[in-house]
Amino acid sequence: MSDQTPGNHNQSAAGAGAGTMKPGFHNTDGQGVAGHGSFFQATDLSREDAIKATDWVRKHVDRRTIDLGDRMDDIREHMYELEKDGQIIIHRIGDQHEPATVKTLFGWEKKIPTKQLWHHKSCGQCGNIPGYPTSLLWFMNKFGFVPGKDYLDETDQTSCTAWNYHGSGIGNVESLAAVFLRNFHQSYVSGKQHGHELGHFFPLVHCGTSFGNYKEIRKYLVESAELREKVTKILGKLGRLVDGKLVIPEEIIHYSEWVHVMRDRIASELQTIDVSNIRTTAHVACHYYKMVHEDAIYDPDVLGGNRTAIITSTAKALGAQVIDYSTWYDCCGFGFRHIISEREFTRSFTMDRKIRVVREEANADVLLANDTGCVTTMDKNQWIGKAHEQNFQVPIMAEVQFAALACGADPFKIVQLQWHASPCEDLVEKMGISWDEAKKNFQAYLKEVEAGNIEYLYNPELAYGGKA
Amino acid sequence: MATYAEMQQIFDDIRGDFRYDHELNGCLNCGICTATCPSAQFYDYSPREIVQLLWTENVEQIYDAMQEKIWACAQCMTCAARCPFKNSPGGLVAIMREVAIKHEMQSAKDVLRPFGRVMLKLITTGNQLSPDMIQPDHFPDWGPNIQKVEGDLRILRKAIPVKTLQTVETAWEVSLKTSVEMYTIWEMTGVLKSLELMDENLFDVIEDFIDEKREDYEEWLEEQEEDDD
Repeated sequence: MSDQTPGNHNQSAAGAGAGTMKPGFHNTDGQGVAGHGSFFQATDLSREDAIKATDWVRKHVDRRTIDLGDRMDDIREHMYELEKDGQIIIHRIGDQHEPATVKTLFGWEKKIPTKQLWHHKSCGQCGNIPGYPTSLLWFMNKFGFVPGKDYLDETDQTSCTAWNYHGSGIGNVESLAAVFLRNFHQSYVSGKQHGHELGHFFPLVHCGTSFGNYKEIRKYLVESAELREKVTKILGKLGRLVDGKLVIPEEIIHYSEWVHVMRDRIASELQTIDVSNIRTTAHVACHYYKMVHEDAIYDPDVLGGNRTAIITSTAKALGAQVIDYSTWYDCCGFGFRHIISEREFTRSFTMDRKIRVVREEANADVLLANDTGCVTTMDKNQWIGKAHEQNFQVPIMAEVQFAALACGADPFKIVQLQWHASPCEDLVEKMGISWDEAKKNFQAYLKEVEAGNIEYLYNPELAYGGKA
Repeated sequence: MATYAEMQQIFDDIRGDFRYDHELNGCLNCGICTATCPSAQFYDYSPREIVQLLWTENVEQIYDAMQEKIWACAQCMTCAARCPFKNSPGGLVAIMREVAIKHEMQSAKDVLRPFGRVMLKLITTGNQLSPDMIQPDHFPDWGPNIQKVEGDLRILRKAIPVKTLQTVETAWEVSLKTSVEMYTIWEMTGVLKSLELMDENLFDVIEDFIDEKREDYEEWLEEQEEDDD
């Protein structure tokens, strides 16, 4: 596809096939500007004036130049004010974190730290799709990061608990805020036991729902003095205040944002496999770009800046083909509680609105995602489609797993594709990697594991506060 | 069936939530939210309807919608991203679910009963999902090829090259101190109370578990002190 998205052409409208436009969406009959009633008339502008007028409109409706006025607040400004008033401590991103600067939806800048990262794991990824975190850590090692100095993975963290909240309603803003502040306080102080200063490790959030939830909660914390007062009591009891104050991170960073800013280095320094024959499609997690949407990364060089750049930017940097499909905006059907106890909905939605479309429209070799529930939902629910004459199959994985494969990572030991149900072997083979050989090697490795000869990406003692 | 006064109280609790004014700003009935809603395609559920009921303060129909409709929402928040008024129908549903639990609605109890396994895991371990939950026995509709290498789950997990992930009963290893801190959060924020309202048996199991873990932690602290001496 080209970088110009089909959003303006309404390709997904019922009945609108290729080359056709639905009435009302686009004025294609050359009769003048769109309008209503008897007042409608052609402008009779010259070609030059028409271009000028169109450019003016384009400029003024571009979301990156629009004056948002009171409609949209940058919550970070209020955070800095609270810090100035001595009410909170902001966990800052400093030069030592070697940040890259990106643009978000409204053209605001966001700093993405690339080093000294505290891995805030995802329960769904670790429990079900461990190839996410292993591929990510593998990349950090490949870049020469030193465990315990350039990144830390430790046992002192809970999940964000938002999966349960969104699924059941058990929980509340206070509990979510207290969990957020507890985990991020630990990130702030975690460097101490390894001989570093406070704030050395900056949190890198692996889960899309944690990312969305934490940003929402940060907003409430900054806006509500009452909420801050309530959770300060809790954090005080836990011993999780610094100088009596709450610690709030300057930015909430998702792992796919790290991959996004590292994509060119990944491609130029580490890529070993040509993926130009691979047809990729993207499903970006709803909770990445639909919750606190002003914070998601947009890049004019990726999809014309009309969709969030995450995932697609990485596929492009690797040289893969990026193929569009009409239901790209749809949710995966996960639903939090639905995947557990309303599975008819989850599997029907994901088959009908994602897998079938990606197969039929895009004929994709892989559907890349960046969150936990999405991969689980779309990966695990393909087999049952056969019962409804929807025998469509597409390999599903995270963009970081695909990137790791393209850089020569072992499909089993590192990318951990053995936990996937979708036909990932088809993609691996198309990339020129022998699935059977890799599987045979892994099965031999399992014997070694049984004998206690386990390979690690970092010294396990680090997870418990020990030295690297 | 609740009395009108009870229904009014339920509505007052919903609009008393401090998020209410964030999530509801007006409504043109444009229906963009429903057009993009995954649940609206499969359930008798419309985010536009939820917003309209709250906007018009229709306490009886709000109560009615809280019986089943609010539980259809998949919480993807697509509605919130699309709304020209910056409403968050999904956010409003989250508030309504909390209030349904607070008022011990039978419909909430019925809906949440099959979700107990996740709640048990979350409240006790801080993880919401674990490898031993993702097994073919639990998900027959995921097919026989649920994973691509057969073998003992413990060995397969040990073959993950990250120490914290070599677990079976939790997604990652959570330190005891961390778990005990989390129990304090549950208690101080009323989460355990909500759980008790929904499922007393599950609450009892969780309370016993928490007591046991706290004792383990106290013992561990004593051992540390002895070692220091």
